[in-house]
This record gives sequence, C-alpha cells and structure tokens, in this order.
Amino acid sequence: MTDAIADTGAMLLTFRLDGEAFAFPVTRVHEILDPIPVTPVPNAGAFAPEVINVRGVVVPLLDIRHRLLMKPAEASRIIVFEADLSGGPQKLAFRADSVEQVLESSPREIIPLPELGAVWPRRFVKGSLRHEDELIVLLDAQELFEPSHDLAEPAVS
Amino acid sequence: MIEQAIQAFVLEAEELLNDLEDMVLRLEEDASKANVDEIFRALHTIKGSGSMFAHTALSRFTHHFENAFELIRSGDLTVSQELIDLSLKSRDIMVQFLKLGGDGPEAEALLKSDRAEALICALSNLTGVEAAGGSTTSTTTKAEEEEGKVEECFDITFIPDTNALKNGMRPDLLIKELSELGMLEIAYQSHVPKLSDLAPDLSFVEWRLRLTTSAGLSAVEDVFIFADDADLKITRRAQHGGTAACCTSTVTSDESGLKGSKSEQSKPTANKSSTSAKNATVSQSKKAEQKSESIRVTSSRLDEMMDALGELVIAQARLDSVAAEIENQTLDTVVEEVQRLVTSLRDATLSIRMVPVDTVFGKFKRVVRDLSAELGKNIHLELEGGETEVDKNIIDRIGEPLVHMIRNSIDHGIETPEVRSGNGKPEQGTVWLSASQEGGEILISIEDDGKGLDAEAIRYRALERGLISEEEEYSEAALHQLIFEPGFSTAQVVSSVSGRGVGMDAVKTTIDELGGQVTVLSKAGLGSRITLRLPVTMAIIDGLRVRLGQSTFVIPLAAVEECVEMTSDMAAQDSGRRFIQIRSETVPFLNLDTLFGMMHAKEERQRVVIVRVDGARIGLVVDDILGQSQTVIKSLSAYHRDIPGLGGATILGDGSVALILDVSTLVRWAESDGARSKLMVA
Repeated sequence: MTDAIADTGAMLLTFRLDGEAFAFPVTRVHEILDPIPVTPVPNAGAFAPEVINVRGVVVPLLDIRHRLLMKPAEASRIIVFEADLSGGPQKLAFRADSVEQVLESSPREIIPLPELGAVWPRRFVKGSLRHEDELIVLLDAQELFEPSHDLAEPAVS
Repeated sequence: MIEQAIQAFVLEAEELLNDLEDMVLRLEEDASKANVDEIFRALHTIKGSGSMFAHTALSRFTHHFENAFELIRSGDLTVSQELIDLSLKSRDIMVQFLKLGGDGPEAEALLKSDRAEALICALSNLTGVEAAGGSTTSTTTKAEEEEGKVEECFDITFIPDTNALKNGMRPDLLIKELSELGMLEIAYQSHVPKLSDLAPDLSFVEWRLRLTTSAGLSAVEDVFIFADDADLKITRRAQHGGTAACCTSTVTSDESGLKGSKSEQSKPTANKSSTSAKNATVSQSKKAEQKSESIRVTSSRLDEMMDALGELVIAQARLDSVAAEIENQTLDTVVEEVQRLVTSLRDATLSIRMVPVDTVFGKFKRVVRDLSAELGKNIHLELEGGETEVDKNIIDRIGEPLVHMIRNSIDHGIETPEVRSGNGKPEQGTVWLSASQEGGEILISIEDDGKGLDAEAIRYRALERGLISEEEEYSEAALHQLIFEPGFSTAQVVSSVSGRGVGMDAVKTTIDELGGQVTVLSKAGLGSRITLRLPVTMAIIDGLRVRLGQSTFVIPLAAVEECVEMTSDMAAQDSGRRFIQIRSETVPFLNLDTLFGMMHAKEERQRVVIVRVDGARIGLVVDDILGQSQTVIKSLSAYHRDIPGLGGATILGDGSVALILDVSTLVRWAESDGARSKLMVA
C-alpha cells in the first residue's frame, strides 16, 4: 500500500483530537470558528447531530469523534471546510481540539498503519504519513463523511 | 439590429411551433373553424417572417403545410387522420429547421432530405398542388381563386410606424407582395428630412395604394399581417362585375333602373369594409397589448433575484429582532413598513416564478399519441388541473419523470385492444394526468386503467435482484413500492419505449431531490395510480414559528388550519390514542417532543397547532407559538434529508438555525410502525 495521495484532493487538513494528529484531503478550508450556537436536529444520527449557520448557509456539524469511536468531549474549535465527496462538493463542519495546519498536497508516501495499536475503525483510515517527525493518521474522507453509515450504526455512548 | 429581429423571430417561431403541436392535436376532437384559423395564422406567420428573417428554407417548407390549411379553411379539404399525422411530422421538421439557425447548406439539405420531400409530396397530394415550383410567392391558391373570382378594388393607406424599419419591416417586400395579387397603383408622400437630419433607420414615407385584385380582402389584409404597428387602412371601393375598370371609370352603363339598387348594394359593402377595417385595428391593438403583457427573461436572472430576496428576508428578520430589543416606536413604524414591502416584493417575485403545469402537461398529448400508435394500442389521454401553478424550478425538473411514468403506463400498463376487449374492458385505454394543490403541496397523479402491477412478478424480480429476502413477508402495497428501487424493471423485453430499468428509480431520485414523495397504488386488472407530492415552491414560504423546549421549529403556514390551547385535563389523558375536542369535532394529536425524542418539558400551558394532512386534521402539540414569519427554505444536507418530518432549515432573525417541519411526512411517519415503537419507548 504505497499509493500517493496526490489524487485525493488539493490539500490536506490536519487537526488534533485527544492529542492525536489526523488529516484528510479537502478542496478548501473556509474558516475556523469559536464555538457558536448550534441547532440540534431531532432523530438525526449520532454522526451529524447538529446544524450551524455559517454566513447564511446551513451546514451540518459532524462528530468525527463518534465515527472514530472516541469518547465525547468538549472541543474548542469548529472547522468549516469543503470536500469533494461522492454526492458532489459539500460544505461541512466538525469540532476539533485544534487545527494544526493545511498541507499543500505534494505526493507523499502513505505508510500503512500497524495492525496493532490502531484503535480507529479500519474503514475510515487510509494509512499514515510522516510530517516533521510526527505520524499523522490519514483518514479516508469518502468513507468518513459517507452519510448512510449512520443509519445502521448503533449510537456509542 | 437585424440579428435582434431574427432572434425575436426565432423565439416567436419556437413558441408558435410549441403551440402548433397542441393546436393540431386539438383538431382530432374539434376541427372547428376557429382551430383551423389559428393553425393557419401560425403557419402564415412563420412562413412570412421566415422569409423576411433569413429562414427562407423553413418558409418554403411551411408554404406547403400552409396550403393544406388554406384549403381546409375554404372547405375544400377536410381534416383527416392522415392530415393530422402529416401536420405533426411537418411541425417536427419545422422545429428542426429552427434548430439549424436559419438558411445555410444544412437547411437546404434538410429541405431536400427524403423526410421533408416525402412530407411535401404527401401534403401536395392532399392539396392537389404541384410540389415543384412551390415558392413563397404563390399565395393565390385554389381557395382564394374561388373566393375572389370577382375582381375588387381596394384603397390602401399604409403609414409604417417611424420605428418599423428597426424592427425589420420591409415596405418594399410588402408592396411587392401586393403587386403580385393584382394590378397595383402606387402613390406616396414622403416626409424625408434634409440629408443632414436623416436617420437612415426611420421611416418617413406614407403610401397610398390602389389595388385591383380578385384575391379578396383577407388576402390583402394578410399581406400586412406583420405590419401590426403601422397605420393601415384598407377600404373596398364599390364593386363591378368582373372587370378591372373600377379604378379609372365611374359607372356609365346600367343607368336608370339599377341605380337605386346599386346604391343599396354599395351600402352594406361600405359597412362591411368599415367593420373589417375596424376589426383590423382591433386585432392590431390586441396584438400590441399582448406584446406588452409578457416579456422574456432568462431564468438565471430570476434565480439571482430570488437569492437576493432570500438574503433580504433574512436581513429583515434580523431587523425585526433588533427592533424588538430596542423598543422604539418610531423605529417600529419603519420596520413594519419595511416588512410590508418585503412581503409584497416576495409575493410578486414568487408569482413571477409560478408557471401552470399545463406547460409540461401539454407536451404529453403528443407522447401518448405517438407511443400508442407505435405500440398498436388505442389510448386516450385525459388532462385535469392544468391551471395549477408551480414554481418554475420544479416544473423544469418534473417533465422527465412524468414522461417516464406515462411511457411506463402506456408500455406496461395498458393492454392491447384485443386483450382489453377479451377482458371485458373498453378497447380504448385511458391515461389520466391530473394536478391539484393541497396546502403547500401540489399533487400530480398519473393513472391508467391498464392491467395494474403484478405483485408476484415484482416479488420474483426483487428476489432475483437481491432487493428483498426470501423469508420476509411483504404486503402487496409494499411490493408495489419496489418498482422505485434502483435497477428494478419487470419488462420481459427491453424495448425502446421503456424497460431500461432506470425509469422509476430516476423518477424517485428526482422527486426526492425536490423534497417530494412518490407513491404507487395498483389493483391487478384495474390499473395503477402513481401520485407525486411536491412542494409548491422551494424558495420562500410563510411559516409559523413554534417553540419546543429550547428549540424553535417552523411549520409551513399553508398546512396550518388553526391553533388551540391545550388544557391540562386534555393533556392528562396520556394513554392510548390521544384526541382533543375542538368544538364538536374530535381531532387526534401528536406530541412533537416525544416524536423528536426530546425531553418532556411538561410545561403548564401547551398549544396545539392543527394542520391538514392527506385531507385529515391532526394536532401537533408544541410548547409555545412564537409568531409568523417569512421563511427562506434552505435544503438539508444528505445527513438530514431523510429524517422524516423535516423539510428543510431556515435562518432566524437572531442568526440561529431553525428546522422546518414537513407535516406530511411527519404525520405519515408517526402513523407508521417505526415511529410507533419510538412512541412506546417514550
């Protein structure tokens, strides 16, 4: 598994959850917001429980922690980005502890994650890459933001 | 300038051809003179303007088509099935001509194509006119010759509008056309200014013409059919028996005895010509009126306007909430005024976007006719509620799905005449296409009296495709709904008509995207009915803001019938089915907080919003009613689109997001099993 990620998108958004660095390809990062009022969506899946108003656009606020089977936690930042997913380009938002940086996409080698030690569901993880002496977990945006997983998925609390 | 005129011609011709299809189909039922005249006028317009605006090939082709209707008009030819078939095919060729964008080698090739020549030949056979040599100039057909055996003399005053030349009018062509009708004397009076002041594109000439012709008044008027902004007067001079002497000599023969009768005779003639002149002016002014009634706008401009309006409505909501905080009377007055203006601006803008569904329904007559002929079936299409208005964005997108469904009805639904009569049904099958409005929704249904859906065949196919499992039990109705599943098709043979297995699936996708629903109801042997429920508009609605715990929701006002207070004793009956008594009526109600899995706030005074769904009244219990406001509908993302009961989201005055309820899906879902189990848990 040594394919490059040049084909996955224009840039990589890296951020931190529970101290761990993650990244996935985006077409654009719109803005990073301080916590704002959110509107809960009744009967929505645990991955997309809320919506927010980002400059007149109603954007779903996604819970990446939930899909990565991490415990719920307060997060200090809301990241609004645009990704080219199977349903076309979409404006989405998620919470993170902090945003590290946006890496311009130059072909990098994807290192497979070791079987042991990876606690995240395998289908969301593409591999990892090394950046400035740190291992960043590369997420599969297509899978991670797929809306339909949620319906069958039991809520983890 | 001429490009603009050509463009205007193309648009007009497109519209006429669109209508022409409908008019021709109408002939099948009603071959009245009014209908025939209408077709003739359309053809004549296209022929005439076509030759003026660089579409001579189209004009030449149309000429043969027009001849046929000229003969029908005069009663020398009757409307036959053959003629209608030819007309429809001719119309299609005319559409092709238009698509080629005017004269050129392609248009010539089309005119010489086998298809076009075969049609011209067939039309000529009908009319008895030689196909060869038919050019635009031969306006005198057999009909006119018969009508106007008697030569008449007309005095014509023709003063083109000063700006007429800019619109592409060619007085020289008109006069040439007149001269072809008979003997023409031309006099003119010009007010051409000094060369230094002369604007070359303005008209300064008045013509006085005297025409001696046997073509008749209508032929003379037809020459000026496009000069509708000119000052035109056509008067018929006293008649003579068959000679052209009228113009030069006064009556010298037939003195004495006949004089009396002559003057009597000329009186009604004079009357007649004056009324026809009046008619001419009336019809001209009517035309001018119609012109000013409609303008053409590209829909992208409307979309821009709509977006801007949406922003304005949201900004106004913010202004409202700011004003409410400040509590200043002067400010309140202004805010109220602005609100009123925004509302009327919104209504006006929305109404611009509303289009009657007839604009899509009309096209289906042809689809049904062609398809049933192709399949050897006898099918009648019945249209109803075509005047129902829907947002243009929706109209634009439902055309394709409707065609799919009608094709399915004809191909799979309705049986061949032999089978039908064998089953004791009338040989002619019927497809009903109807539209109606119910609250904020529009209902479109496609019904046929064919063989209905075969539940067993559907089950078999669904199993084969792995859509359902062997063990599970499915009701007949549930099996029927499977036709909307991706990749499903029960057609044994893939025909050109339908049966590619993408049709119904595509229909459902489109309707889902529009925020609508599609259901099928079918009875074996009796027929099927597919019903589409669509929102009337997808842009801005009037909404009722309600509070549920900490959250605000918006209920589309179109669905709301009334609001009542929930008294504590009514709320106390908290077991089994829940009803409230409103006047003498018992209305069931739903607790929104339980449906939405929210904490029971158990507030003292709750309110019930009574909505109408599927014709029945039902109450929705909320914690408070906050007020009415205009609501800009924002669609939900893929994560939330499928949640029953939610129709969209909107942004409130304080900048927060509120969800818009879709009462139809909400109530239907509440009545379904999924929700019931949820209610039990709650």
